[in-house]
Amino acid sequence: MNTDSIGGPGGPPGSDARVDQFRADVADMRLKDPATGLDRLLLRLGVLGMIGGPVLAVIAYFLSHSATGAAAPLEQRDALIQALIGVAITIVGAALYVKAAIAGFLRFWMARLVYEQRRERDQISTR
Amino acid sequence: MTAMDPVSALTAMREHETLLELRGVKAAYGTIEVLHGVDLDVRPGEVMAVLGPNGAGKTTTLKVLAGLHPLAGGDIIVAGRRVNGARPEDLTRAGLCLIPEGRGIFPSLSVRENLWMASHSGRPLRAIEEVAYGRFPQLQKRRGQVAGTLSGGEQQMLALARGLATDPAVLILDELSMGLAPLVVEQLYAQVAELARTGVSVLVVEQFARVVLGVADRAAIMVHGRVSDIGTPHEIESKLSSAYLGG
Repeated sequence: MNTDSIGGPGGPPGSDARVDQFRADVADMRLKDPATGLDRLLLRLGVLGMIGGPVLAVIAYFLSHSATGAAAPLEQRDALIQALIGVAITIVGAALYVKAAIAGFLRFWMARLVYEQRRERDQISTR
Repeated sequence: MTAMDPVSALTAMREHETLLELRGVKAAYGTIEVLHGVDLDVRPGEVMAVLGPNGAGKTTTLKVLAGLHPLAGGDIIVAGRRVNGARPEDLTRAGLCLIPEGRGIFPSLSVRENLWMASHSGRPLRAIEEVAYGRFPQLQKRRGQVAGTLSGGEQQMLALARGLATDPAVLILDELSMGLAPLVVEQLYAQVAELARTGVSVLVVEQFARVVLGVADRAAIMVHGRVSDIGTPHEIESKLSSAYLGG
C-alpha cells in the first residue's frame, strides 16, 4: 500500500497512482470465507459428534452383549474399541461445540463492551 | 490482436470507471431481509452521497460493503474485482476505510493514543500526526486530552484523521453530521470535499441532506432497502421530500 501519496493537506491533486495502487492491492487480495462460516461448521460438527459418539457407544454395548460362541471375546474386544471411539468422538464433539459457543459468546461480549463504552462516552460528551 | 466483443468492452470500461460497485446487494438480520437488491457505484475521486430516512438500510449497506456484515445476495465489486466475503481487515489494508456511525474512537485513550492506534497501517506516528494536525489544527491543542471528553465535532475530526492515516483510496462515512452543530458539519464536509479533490473517492451516508448535497458529485436516495433514485445533487434534492415523507 502506498503510504505517502495522499491524505496530507498539501497532497498532490488527482491521485491516479493511488487508485492504480488500490486496484493492484485489491487484485492481490486473498479472498477467504468469513470466519463465522468456520465457527458454524465447527458448531455443527460438534453437535454431530455429541450425538453420533454416544450412539456408537450404545451400539457397541449391544454388540458386546449379543456376542456368543467361541468368537465372543473377539467380538467383545471389537465392541470395546468401537465404544472407545464413540466416547472419543463425543469428547471431541463437545470440545468443538464449546469452542464455537465460547467464540460466539465472546464476540457478543465484546460487542456489548463496545456498546457500553460508546454509551459512557456519549454520556460524558453530553455533560 | 483479438477483438473484444462490444458487451465485454463496455463492461470492462464500466468496471474501470467505477472504483466501487454494488450489484443487487441483499443483506438480512436473522431471517429478516433489510436490503432487497441495492445497486450503487462510486467513481474515482467523486463524493457519492446516499440519503434516506431512518431504517432505509443505509448503514447496513456500508457494513456489507466494508465486510462487517454478511452478504445474502448480489455482488460487491471493488476496483473491478468481486470481493464477496472479503475480510474487513483485508479491505482496509487495500485502502477502503469506514468511519462508522458514532465515530468509533477509543474514548478512554488520548487523542495522540487514538492516532497511534492507526499506525498499524505501517505509517509512523509522526507522519500520522502531521497529517491529522495539518488537517485539523484543533486536535493538536488537545493531543493529550482523553478522546471521550472532546466535543462531538472534535471526536469526528479525530475519527476522520485516524481514517486518513491509513491512506485510504475510498473513504466511507456513516452519518458524519450526527449530533453536531451545523457549523461544525460544514467544516467537516469542507474537509471531505478537499479530500475528494486529492483523488479519494468518498461514499457518505446521511440523513440530513442539505450540507452533503453541497459537496456531493452525485447522490442516491435509499428507501426500504433499495436505491430508489440516483442523480446529480440538484435532481435528488427535488425528490427528497417524497422519499422522506413516503409520497
